[in-house]
Amino acid sequence: MKSFQYLAPIPGFDYVVPRNLSELFRTLEAQDRKTTIIAGGTDLLIALKERIVTPEVVVDLGRLRKELGGFSAGGGILRIGSLSTFSQIESSPQVARYANALRQAASNVGTLQIRSTATLGGNLATASPAADSAPPLIALGASVTLATGAGQRKVPVQSVFAGPKRNGLRPGEIVSSVEIPANEEVWSAWTRAAVRNENVLSTVSVAVASTVREGRFGPSRVALGAVAPTPILAVRASEAMTGAEATAERAEIVAALAAEDSKPISDIRASASYRRRLVSVLTRRLITQLLQEEAP
Amino acid sequence: MTFRLNGTERTEEMEPNKTLCDFLHDEAGKTSVKKGCDTGECGACTVLLDDMPVTSCLVLAPQIDGRDVVTAEGLGTKSSPHPVQEAFVKQDAVQCGYCIPGMIVTLSWIYEHAPGATDPEIKRLMSGNLCRCTGYLQQIEALKTARKRA
Repeated sequence: MKSFQYLAPIPGFDYVVPRNLSELFRTLEAQDRKTTIIAGGTDLLIALKERIVTPEVVVDLGRLRKELGGFSAGGGILRIGSLSTFSQIESSPQVARYANALRQAASNVGTLQIRSTATLGGNLATASPAADSAPPLIALGASVTLATGAGQRKVPVQSVFAGPKRNGLRPGEIVSSVEIPANEEVWSAWTRAAVRNENVLSTVSVAVASTVREGRFGPSRVALGAVAPTPILAVRASEAMTGAEATAERAEIVAALAAEDSKPISDIRASASYRRRLVSVLTRRLITQLLQEEAP
Repeated sequence: MTFRLNGTERTEEMEPNKTLCDFLHDEAGKTSVKKGCDTGECGACTVLLDDMPVTSCLVLAPQIDGRDVVTAEGLGTKSSPHPVQEAFVKQDAVQCGYCIPGMIVTLSWIYEHAPGATDPEIKRLMSGNLCRCTGYLQQIEALKTARKRA
């Protein structure tokens, strides 16, 4: 029995499944044909069906889950392998301890089914302006390790995003891992606004990481998603928060600056002015929560 | 490609440009796997991949190489159904039936892996399974019935 075809069949391509990292890099370097990497595939399958991506070769990372997966904490760093799924991130005790904002974002991505396959590395490499993992990682000061057969380089999260759905990876390069400073003292949280609660792209997402000591904010970062061509650090908001008195008045100032730092567009999900308003509301909400929890 | 399907080891040639949903339904005869939206929104094609629920329309067939796949057929049989399947029958938790195999797969996973999940948590975990007959409450009740019998 043949099931109906909503979209036309996906055009054919060669399929390669490297058995180890050196085989992967050799495969990527040898390609003179249009090549796409598949990790979880939740974004790629849509792109293939809609002909947004038309590869001649698809390279499957499925046999590299040991090399490119897993969590390890040590030396003040929490390392998350790029093939970690959002379900794994959601239930990782290390992520809960050191990166609450990332845990919150991971548990809100898509649905249970999407979270079970979609990977952190895929979310970054797809480079959607609305990538939910990015604002928490930016707020937490994370770096991303990119690798080729020749070696690896460590870049800030923002460098992985070159523009809407355009990543900053070089040819043959893969997202290998993400490193987050592992400091239990750092408070972090993420929230978003969307047209419904589940299975939906964020209209606006905000993450804040900070500390409060002796009535003042420590080093603070406010990061924003879906309000610029890429996820961004709200620079003026972060500067206005760092070292300032931890008060509700300051929360208002930081929230207003975050809205000014954003550069949203109008699209099917919201208008630019509504998005700007959401940035300030969500930022204020997070800082208010921080004040309640850390400076009651 | 070598994989396990409902507990049986299989080795098969696969067209790489086919989704797991189409492979299971059209080639492997697992007709419980329904294609609804074909874009990962509706959950009618949900199967377990390495014991995690996934929408098989967003998985390329060869991605199951070396992995374990379970469809609703693999959860239980008519003579010895999965507790959630049994509870669905007892509870009349079915209207048109199209979404039901996917629902059963997700709810069986919640039954096994989130035994303490509260109503809001169950609803969150079920949000990837849409029912156009809007019958969600009976299905949550069925899960609870299955839990009580355990």
